[in-house]
Amino acid sequence: MMTLIWSSLTIGAVYALVATGYNVVFTASGVFNFAHAQLMMLGVFLAYAGLVVLKWPIIVVFLFAGVVVFLAAALEERIAIRPVRLAEAQLVTTVGVATLINGAAQRIWGPSPLSVPYFASNQTVTVFGGRVLPDEIVIIATTVVVVILLMLLSKRTMIGLAMLAIAENRESALLRGVNVRRLALGAFAFSGLLAGLLGPIIGPQTFAAAGLASAIALYGFVALAIGGFGSLPGGLIGGFVVGFAEEFTARYMNSNYPDVIVFVILLAVLLLRPNGLFGKARERAV
Amino acid sequence: MNTLSTRLKSVPSFTLPLIAAIVIVLLPQLGLSVTNQRQVLLIGFLTLLVSGLNLSLGYAGELALGQPAIYATGAYVAAYMGEHGSTDIVLQIVAAVAAALVVGLLTGIPGLRLGSWSLAMTSFFLVLLIPDIANIFPGATGGMVGAVGIENGTFFGVALTNYGYYLVVVLSVIFWLAFMRNLVTSRHGIALRVMRQSPVLASSLGISVFRTKLLAYALGAVPAGIAGALFANLDHYVSPETFSFALAISILAASILGGATSVYGAVFGAVIMQLGPSVSTSFQQDALIFYGILLIVGGVLLANGVSGLANNAWKRYVLKGERATRTKHAASTEFHFPAMAGAKLSVKGVSKSFGGNVALRDVDLDAEAGKVTALIGPNGSGKTTLLNMICGFYPTDAGTIDLDGVQLDHRRSYQIANLGLARTFQTPVIPAGITVAEVVLSGRYSPERVSIAAAALRFPRYWKVHSHDQEQVAEILDIVGLTDLAHEQADSLPLGTRRMLEIARALVSKPRVLLLDESASGLDEDEVARLAMLIRRVRDAGGTVILVEHNFRLVLSLADTIHVLAQGEIIASGTPADIEVDPRVLREYLGVKDVDAAAAAIEADTTGPQR
Repeated sequence: MMTLIWSSLTIGAVYALVATGYNVVFTASGVFNFAHAQLMMLGVFLAYAGLVVLKWPIIVVFLFAGVVVFLAAALEERIAIRPVRLAEAQLVTTVGVATLINGAAQRIWGPSPLSVPYFASNQTVTVFGGRVLPDEIVIIATTVVVVILLMLLSKRTMIGLAMLAIAENRESALLRGVNVRRLALGAFAFSGLLAGLLGPIIGPQTFAAAGLASAIALYGFVALAIGGFGSLPGGLIGGFVVGFAEEFTARYMNSNYPDVIVFVILLAVLLLRPNGLFGKARERAV
Repeated sequence: MNTLSTRLKSVPSFTLPLIAAIVIVLLPQLGLSVTNQRQVLLIGFLTLLVSGLNLSLGYAGELALGQPAIYATGAYVAAYMGEHGSTDIVLQIVAAVAAALVVGLLTGIPGLRLGSWSLAMTSFFLVLLIPDIANIFPGATGGMVGAVGIENGTFFGVALTNYGYYLVVVLSVIFWLAFMRNLVTSRHGIALRVMRQSPVLASSLGISVFRTKLLAYALGAVPAGIAGALFANLDHYVSPETFSFALAISILAASILGGATSVYGAVFGAVIMQLGPSVSTSFQQDALIFYGILLIVGGVLLANGVSGLANNAWKRYVLKGERATRTKHAASTEFHFPAMAGAKLSVKGVSKSFGGNVALRDVDLDAEAGKVTALIGPNGSGKTTLLNMICGFYPTDAGTIDLDGVQLDHRRSYQIANLGLARTFQTPVIPAGITVAEVVLSGRYSPERVSIAAAALRFPRYWKVHSHDQEQVAEILDIVGLTDLAHEQADSLPLGTRRMLEIARALVSKPRVLLLDESASGLDEDEVARLAMLIRRVRDAGGTVILVEHNFRLVLSLADTIHVLAQGEIIASGTPADIEVDPRVLREYLGVKDVDAAAAAIEADTTGPQR
């Protein structure tokens, strides 16, 4: 039972990381980056390439994945977001970026899943009566730390406050001297950096697979919807909720059901609490 | 050039598509091979899917990635019927469309609540679920193996031959495209375009934004359902593999390529996406990369796609000649202004605060029919807040607002608009890409209704309302002096003209209350004079006018009653004569210390002090 809880927390943490990536970009630029899960997938593939193909030391692999995905995300903002004004057109272009990364990954690394080795011990340990791999604990801990750090950053630093200001009212932030464009670029690049650095950490669990992105994109989105758009702690809790729902249905029903159950949860949340558990309702304004 | 363009214009716009349709219907008779007939059929299915997406993406501005799921629903429904002896293809189509609508509504309602990305995700999720659902119901769907044993389709009891089936498919596509064309050229099409650009404007015209978006999305499911039923009869075999996410992406790519905001663009897009991949085998492998680049470039560059280019060319070459030959039509000053049924608007004890900020405190205000009621006050005094509460954009904290005894507060803005409240905006809200006449027409949405079905199938009701529309739009354009500009693009007009256009749009709905939000600002003297004359005419015709204005002189000359707001409270109410000399008004609003001198200055008819 405890083993099941550990695996739920692990997979939930991955979804929470996707939701966090959506949130960072969404808060700073109002864009829903459909391709964020693809950026994370790219990080995992780069971890595979660095560790298995090129046999680089782990520190170099972290840097490599971080920098490449950082650049990819910045490029996405410059090419697919900045020249496009309409929100629906931005959705189309981010779907385009997602499709492009999916296609490229499939072309370069093939369609079958590749195993990414864990960089430290691979010995199962028993914690609170449940068997768990060290890399699983690292994923869970990293996620919690990342979310807490981002929360502190957004409340305590000027950049964080500027991002909140943009989310609240873009025009008045502009008038206050916030460089909205540079922050949007920065948020994309930062989310890319994060996605790249996480590659070697989540890779051992998720495998480097071309189908990875679609799955975590959707489940990460459900985590986001449960937690509320723009809420960092909401995304964390939402991720864990989805993780538990998926693992428990897979265990106690059968493998056809997790997607259906998670979809039903999504519909229920959107119908009953469209602003999520942590999101704020806003009054409409002319 | 000129004669050519006139001749071109006199040809109905559906002529070319009609000729193309007849040719396609006859192709097998002209010796098209069976293999190529199959390509035509596949293009037909894809056209239906893309066309449905165009309705939600291009017209309603909602990205729906779920077309494959709706397609699958239609296909499985038809397959199930075909396996169990209901082989009539018409019946199958009807059942498939019904099922498609149910799935569309079920996923559309929650998906639309949070904004466009939310619908994109829920509909994307739907596609991912297809194999799971197929596995959960192996009896009905055949699971991953697929549904087999679908009997040959019949048409009212007659077994379908190959050519019979071909005809059913092609005619279904033609019928759908005609339906779609009629829909988007009707007032509903204009309503969709208005809503896409300004939800606020749409709701103040009496259009329910949520319902209209949902309708467009749900209607977009109809052709996908039809396509599904037709597809099940192609090979008499349906399996989950067909309905992949790659299909969703190629539908989206086809939509962008052909132009999302178009009717026939779906055909272009479908042809390219169907025939393109078969050109080279290496393409299959790189299809995703190609689609990805296409979507990025398409999203950035060609917002309107191939058919947008064609449309622009048409406008440039054919309509240009017409513009030159048009004669100048002077605004008439003698016109018949129809009687208006004004209603009494009462605001009683209304308060509103945002957080700790009190915007309005215990405001009372009455506006009578046949009178001009003005609301003045310095910036930040709460005028716009009050206006927005009357229109239903903010809920009130306390107090009531009613229209001839009908309570307005806590109704939605589009419901209030439908009760007969029309407004203009401080900054004119004129959607891009539609003509002056169409802008005015959008104001006719609430007074006289036409259902979607009546509009798309051109029922007599549609033609009746259509002729009323034409008459009244022409009449109002004449009154405001914009007849010359009727076919110009509305958003490129100068500010003063756009303000007049907004008033025309409000007047054409025959409002019971007309709310003018700073309509005189930015107008030159002639325009102000014309505005004043219009307001007087509306008043004399029995309309209720509420004027929110900064132009003190205009207000003094027009209003029957003036209410002065300062810091969220009404500090004075009365006739222009009272207000003009009210010391508190002069101090608070006009900011003068020496009250006598200021009163004398106004007396001496200087330009109205403005802040």
